Amino acid sequence: MQITGMLWGRKLLDLVEFPRSDVRGPEASVEEIKGMIKKHKQVFIKPFFKGGVGKKGKSGLIGRVDNLHDALKEKERLYFATHQDGARITKSNGVTFEGGVPADHEVYFSITDSTLYRAPCMTITHHGGVDIEELPADKLAVVPFDPLTGLKAFHVSNALESLGAPSEIISPLVQNLPKLWDLYNNYGMLMLELNPIRMFNNGKRLSPVACDFKCAFDQDDPAWKRLHLPDELFASDDSDFEQEINQLRTYQGQSDVYVINDEGTITAPTFGGGANAMVTELLGEDATISSDFGGNPPYVKMNDISKITFKYWLPQSNVLFIIGGKANNTDIYETFRAIGDGIKWYFQQHGPQPLFVVVGRGGPNLVRGMAYLRDTLDSLGIPYRFFGHDSAMSEVINYARAVNRWMLNGGKDEIKKSMNIK
Amino acid sequence: MHKEGVAEFPYYVGINSLSELATKDDKVVVLNILGKESSGVTPISHEYSGGNVVFGTGPGKSGKSLPTKNGKIPVYNSIKEGMAAGHEFNTAVVYLPPSGVKDGVAEAVRDNPKLKKVIVLTEKVSVKDSRVMRAICQTNGVDLFGGNCLGVADSWNHVRLGGALGGNSPEESLIKGSVAIFSNSGNFTTTIAVYLATAGWGTTTSVSSGKDVYIHYGPQEFIYALNNDDRSQAAIVYCEPGGYYEKDLKSDKPIIACVVGRWKAKLTKSCGHAGSLAGSGDDAMAKEEWFKDYFGVKDIYTPENPVCSKKGALVTNIAHIPEALTKVMEANGKKPDFEPKGDLSLKCWFGNNNGVKLPKELDVQQVKAIEPYSEQIDALKQQVGAQISRETLKDASGASKMDPKTQVSQIHNVSILDASNKTFEENLVFALTHNYPSASGTAMANAVLNAYVNQHGQATLVAATASREAGNSPNTVQAAAVSIVGKNKAQKAMKAAEALLDIFKLTDMDNPEEKFDYKALVKGAASHKDALLDADAGAEAVLKQVQSKGQSVFIDFLVDFAKEHNGNVSKDAVVAAVWASLAWPSLRTKKISKHTLVRLPWYSMIYSTMVGVAAPDNQHSADSFCGIKNDDLLGNSFTRTAFQALMGRDASEGELFEFQVLLGLIITNGPGTISAQGSKGAVSADGPEQPDRVQINKSFIGFLTHTGFAHGGNGYEAAAFLIEQFKDSSLTDPADSKHGVDLEKLATDYAKWYGSYKKEQKGLGRLDYAKIPCVNHPVFKGKDVNVDPREEYVSKLFKDKGLYNVFLDFYHHLVEGLFKTKVTKNVYCVNVDAVIAVILLKMVWSDYKKGSIKEEDIEWASFMAFLFGRMIGCAAEIDDHTNRGKNMDTRTPASKVAYVG
Repeated sequence: MQITGMLWGRKLLDLVEFPRSDVRGPEASVEEIKGMIKKHKQVFIKPFFKGGVGKKGKSGLIGRVDNLHDALKEKERLYFATHQDGARITKSNGVTFEGGVPADHEVYFSITDSTLYRAPCMTITHHGGVDIEELPADKLAVVPFDPLTGLKAFHVSNALESLGAPSEIISPLVQNLPKLWDLYNNYGMLMLELNPIRMFNNGKRLSPVACDFKCAFDQDDPAWKRLHLPDELFASDDSDFEQEINQLRTYQGQSDVYVINDEGTITAPTFGGGANAMVTELLGEDATISSDFGGNPPYVKMNDISKITFKYWLPQSNVLFIIGGKANNTDIYETFRAIGDGIKWYFQQHGPQPLFVVVGRGGPNLVRGMAYLRDTLDSLGIPYRFFGHDSAMSEVINYARAVNRWMLNGGKDEIKKSMNIK
Repeated sequence: MHKEGVAEFPYYVGINSLSELATKDDKVVVLNILGKESSGVTPISHEYSGGNVVFGTGPGKSGKSLPTKNGKIPVYNSIKEGMAAGHEFNTAVVYLPPSGVKDGVAEAVRDNPKLKKVIVLTEKVSVKDSRVMRAICQTNGVDLFGGNCLGVADSWNHVRLGGALGGNSPEESLIKGSVAIFSNSGNFTTTIAVYLATAGWGTTTSVSSGKDVYIHYGPQEFIYALNNDDRSQAAIVYCEPGGYYEKDLKSDKPIIACVVGRWKAKLTKSCGHAGSLAGSGDDAMAKEEWFKDYFGVKDIYTPENPVCSKKGALVTNIAHIPEALTKVMEANGKKPDFEPKGDLSLKCWFGNNNGVKLPKELDVQQVKAIEPYSEQIDALKQQVGAQISRETLKDASGASKMDPKTQVSQIHNVSILDASNKTFEENLVFALTHNYPSASGTAMANAVLNAYVNQHGQATLVAATASREAGNSPNTVQAAAVSIVGKNKAQKAMKAAEALLDIFKLTDMDNPEEKFDYKALVKGAASHKDALLDADAGAEAVLKQVQSKGQSVFIDFLVDFAKEHNGNVSKDAVVAAVWASLAWPSLRTKKISKHTLVRLPWYSMIYSTMVGVAAPDNQHSADSFCGIKNDDLLGNSFTRTAFQALMGRDASEGELFEFQVLLGLIITNGPGTISAQGSKGAVSADGPEQPDRVQINKSFIGFLTHTGFAHGGNGYEAAAFLIEQFKDSSLTDPADSKHGVDLEKLATDYAKWYGSYKKEQKGLGRLDYAKIPCVNHPVFKGKDVNVDPREEYVSKLFKDKGLYNVFLDFYHHLVEGLFKTKVTKNVYCVNVDAVIAVILLKMVWSDYKKGSIKEEDIEWASFMAFLFGRMIGCAAEIDDHTNRGKNMDTRTPASKVAYVG
């Protein structure tokens, strides 16, 4: 749940009256663009990506223009621009027009919760406008502060003084930067970054102007909902499957999912964060999804999760792999009953599916749960192997992968035959 | 701003040694103690720790209590109230919902100055609340654990604080030893302890840290306390990407670090643990490097590449932890705490290939599970057959369905097209057992079905005859007879089935058609003599037939049992034994319930009765049925018997095949058909939740009364249509492709006539003009040439068998003729109902031409044939509804019905 860019950043900054650049969205008319060029002399045109996309400048995805012809040309180039970060490809849908802010000083500022200090932490430098990772440590001030009192003027002032920042920028920053703590703290943010803040000289004094914006929200903190941001702003982060599962997100029982490979052939409902980390790692690209359904989900929730998961992933799956360690408090009977009923539901709705079920699990009501699942699979004619918690989880994962390989090499047809699937 | 604690930390840490983390001196208050999670977990923690929970809170719940084996834990509205009642504590365990956690922590800190530890179990606590809680605890000198953790436990002190480390049997995994565990995963805290035991290592203190963005009691604090704990000789640190908690970790004692989650570098949002979302500097690879640098090793430890130092080893698979620990401890001159308990090899507790031949390496055999699980698994064997959860079956079925796209119905996931390749008797067995019988099983089924088909001297025949003579339709005649086959008629056979189930249910026998040593059971089953034996030898003929045709452990057992107890096997016991043989594999694989197995003889007798009374009373005599001697009848195929009952003559092999196809196609049209609804309604009204009260014969009557001239009898319409077309032709043998009839002309002439008739009727404004039966279909239409795939399938089946049917041929000419004469815009399909009509008409044509049967006889036969076929499907519905349905579940709520008067 991230926001990058000034299109939405301006709205958030306005909430705390932090000065920011003049920004128009893709709807800006020719007249408006002309007016911006006239006013600011220079206009930046940036593609609008939903979610978190950084380093647009380095990717050549920022246009800088001083006339309408170029502005429209850049708009056309960047409107549907593609950004690649490793394997992740993001497509823009729109542009922003941002008025240039002439300045001699650029400042980097961020707030995050630091795991080093176990406290909220401000990072600041007057050598902004560059990648923060490229700066040597002595040019950065990292300042933890008390969350009960928040970011105070003296934190900013002390930090800038320790960095030897030019004195003319300190006062305007001290006056304005603490406002950002309100934005961070009141709306459930995990990270807030302004880079650069350009120190604009209005003829009388310097004033900070935010020229780029990035923030991430904590999805466990409902405070961000107060911003009434449009749903589609975050929707691109999630696949349809993830969105459907996310609707079941409550504190009773996990329902975290992530699509690993939409052409995978092992679907593994996984229980526990540790198992999630290990199973997903060892299954690799064989897995359709990574999931954590632990935390003792009640029957109804687990059954809903199963139905959604099966609806999306069973058609392509060879192996349904139910895996977790020795549960501490997750009731295995309840979860396995919910999953078993989910399989039955799927078969009733979509017809039988050639499938092999592998289970590795331990915990309360284990045998009762396994017996229920066994009976369900027997009644549906699905072959299976269940392993207890006395089998190494990695060995069980290897077994599931071996079954998958066999299925890919003709085993699926064998099961089709035995299940009378044409 | 923080209180002064352990001097080495720039923030407050109160714990000096792991031995102080969970002690007998710790007294606990549980916030939201009566919540779902806490009320399950807290009693176990309380009992394991010898009663360390002093009270719990729950707003508005003052005066309640949580029962445990160590007595009731009192519940108060608030901490203040609990303390005012005189309770003292130093530890607060928080089970509040996420939005209430911060306030709960604030309450505990404010109201109890003696508070030293807070353990937050709750998941999905916001980062903001987490940082505020930390600040509150830091300011007040309280150690905070979690959130989203499972607390701490100490095997030496036998104390568990918060959460559920070790699950509901903490002793199984919290085994006293010399290794401390710190884990980001609550589950792995326990799982690692279980794994360690396989190499002989026990634990001291186990800490489930949680893996939120904030880990309040982190590895640095843990290792500091480890170094001060004389009991702990080594530590396991399990961690995942995200956060710098493990950076620069240094210990006086060996550490096995397990870092899992390289793949998480690809994540753009958290999945699993909220804090496992890493930046570039704190991903799994970075953490691996931190540990490798500290241990002074270049590689990850694996059994193939056991790289370690005296300081420790890095693994990325928790299964490698025990071995790595042993190796590192060897380097430190230390031996395991005890003899290894078990191992981590693959151990299959439950498995079934369900008919699939697996390669050897995948065909992992079941082994005895560890105690106490093996005892529980053994106890499962007492549960015989499927345990089907009940649900409302109004307009729903677990037996049949129709694919709306193909219009092909299925019974127990077998399409009726495939079922029509099976004999009548095979389908009758399949409807109830969900498995097709073997050749030997089919022969045995034929024997018992035929043994009861002759109704001579029975009230059933009298009732049927009286009903027939009163002018009733075939279904009403059948219903009259079936009403006589009440429970008492089948009681003895059902008792015998019950006895066999009781004798064999705990054996390992999977298939009674294979050898099985039952000798020991013969003597032990003496109490079942009355159910299985008879004074006279009336079962001899059927027993002999069954023995000569099939192999059944149950039959062999009965014979030996009779010998042992000097009696005769009863005929009812033979019926029960044959059906038990047919159903046993399904019972063992949980496809059917034990109730079904016991009731099978009742179904069997109803099957026999329905076929028997289809023949008029003059076909039944003391020693024969339809002219076949009773003993000879036993060896008949039941399909042939049914044909004989219907047609009064024997069938050729070709006819027999066509007849079986005819019956197969009729089996079901899904649970929505009136006949299925009738049978299900009858079951529902008896109350299937007490399955013994469901009257099987009454349920068949429900099916029968829900057929009629429109549903079941309408097959005749097509036959009548065809008779009309062919009555003046020279056709003598419909099976002869050289019949000499000009089908094209016949079809074209009719099409032309029909075209003008239709035009005339429309001109007169009569839209209810006569439609041609069995052409066109609401689904298979709209193309230039339309085909009903079901008809196409059967036509091909007959073609492959070399079976010709002039009437079917005519139908194909007719749809062409209708198109050519522009009566239809495209070539209509010949639908599957035509197939049923043409098969039937073919069977009766020569007798009709000879004048030995009349048109009304054809109508009778057509309706009766429908009842035979549908009997299969409705038997499946009745059994399914009895096992799966709820009392009165087919009723329609008053709110859903309408008054239209």
